[in-house]
Amino acid sequence: MSTAELSPWDEMPKHLGPWPSPEDREFWAGARRGELRIQRCASCGLHQHYARLLCSHCGSLEVEWITASGAGTVHSFTVVRQNGVPPFAQCVPFVVALVELAEPGARILAAMPTVAPDAVAIGMPVRATFRSAHDPELGFVDFAAADVGSRG
Amino acid sequence: MTRRVCVVGVGLSDGPVTPDMNGLMLEAQAFQRAVADAGLAKADVDGLASAGYGGMHEVMLAEYLGIAPQWLESTSCGGSSFELHAMHAWRAIEAGDAETIAIVYGNNQLSASGRTLGTGGGGGRGVLPHPMGYELPTGLTLVGAYALAAQRHMHEYGTTPEQLASIAVQVREHAARNPNAMYRDPITVDDVLASKLVADPLHKLDCCVISDGGCCIVLTTEERARDLPHRPVYVRGAAAAMTHHSVHSMPDLTRSAGAVCGPKAFAQAGITPADVDTFQMYDSFTYTVLVCLEDLGFAPKGEGGAFAADGNLRLGGALPTNTDGGGLSATHPGMRGLFLLCEATRQLRGAAGDAQVPGAEIAVAHGSGGWLSTMGTVVLGTEPTR
Repeated sequence: MSTAELSPWDEMPKHLGPWPSPEDREFWAGARRGELRIQRCASCGLHQHYARLLCSHCGSLEVEWITASGAGTVHSFTVVRQNGVPPFAQCVPFVVALVELAEPGARILAAMPTVAPDAVAIGMPVRATFRSAHDPELGFVDFAAADVGSRG
Repeated sequence: MTRRVCVVGVGLSDGPVTPDMNGLMLEAQAFQRAVADAGLAKADVDGLASAGYGGMHEVMLAEYLGIAPQWLESTSCGGSSFELHAMHAWRAIEAGDAETIAIVYGNNQLSASGRTLGTGGGGGRGVLPHPMGYELPTGLTLVGAYALAAQRHMHEYGTTPEQLASIAVQVREHAARNPNAMYRDPITVDDVLASKLVADPLHKLDCCVISDGGCCIVLTTEERARDLPHRPVYVRGAAAAMTHHSVHSMPDLTRSAGAVCGPKAFAQAGITPADVDTFQMYDSFTYTVLVCLEDLGFAPKGEGGAFAADGNLRLGGALPTNTDGGGLSATHPGMRGLFLLCEATRQLRGAAGDAQVPGAEIAVAHGSGGWLSTMGTVVLGTEPTR
């Protein structure tokens, strides 16, 4: 696949989000900067995605933003072959994965637009990639195979 | 002594396709039939539960029905809502807060919204507040959420698409015995595997139908039930549990909340899985059935696929499941939890027609809501728990 040409993934309409709140704007703004921003608990040391007031593991209020490595493994995946909503209707088939991040405690659901349906497997090493959203200050986090060049 | 609680009336609306009826009409038709089936008048109903619409739906429904209940319940946690309603109704009648409770649901899902529920039809409309906006931009569908879980189960336990397909095949056999089922022609494992993949590993025939339809059940005290026309069906146990809202936060994709509420309800009822004569299981997808066969203890973890593929779910098998044809083949008007309780009751009355499990004494209804998010188990029996 050419990495230069625009795909339907690059033309996400405004109504598909993101809709940042004061609580999680940092995640979406970080994606626009090319950073995977998640939270780490200073009390138990575990991580979480998405952003919360408290640690979903231990309940502590001592949560802080960190920039994750972007490395992870595929915990599970599906190949979406039917989705009636544009632009996804033009993207099928495509891979969506639940990624276990290298930072303990955190998983993230993400599309993998550059991974072919027959090339994905559970346990596969992946890394975060970033895609611009409609809002010029915000972006989306995708994942790609860990061993190929950066997309876009 | 604690008051015992029984299901005394059940009613189904017309279905599975009713283009001229709205949701309230389907609910009212099922309600009218269930109250008549119970041998009661609507004025006897002093408690009402419903879910699936916006706030205050149960109040609007009460007004539409022309009743003035003193006990209202609107727990809305997806398709399992009605198992939670039954749990709460059981305790309310037991405690004397209500005498006779109707649980009602109806929806013209198919006629109003078509078949798009599972494949993006719910998406792209309006702003999703944090933290609900993390799924939609990935393109994951409702079917895809279940597919993610099924894929992990296949990875960990070697579960196969053929084993998943065998569930759809056996439920279809039961649909053939139900004149009101949406699809009644026999299917094979090969037919399921040859149907279009919607989200790997789930094929079209691994997914429930979308239909119209309504259902109602009526519960009251054992004392009142003695004077009513049907053999009372006792509530013996009922429990609920949840694990997550969105599938990305499911702690273990291969273990559902059924592992908590199933054993809890069985313990209340004083039964083990081996005592269950028929299982009415929310078959939104074949995987929903498979994981709950394990989590409720009908098969060891990881062996649900083999248990299903061995034919245990069919009439005459060890655990006749979804004897009305289930959501996979008969009816699924957006949510199905209440239909499970209706079919369980019919079985225990000995009134399940061509799909009767001979001598059924204990039936389990197990609902699943959301994206394997919320579950409720209700144990019904021809005799009370001793």
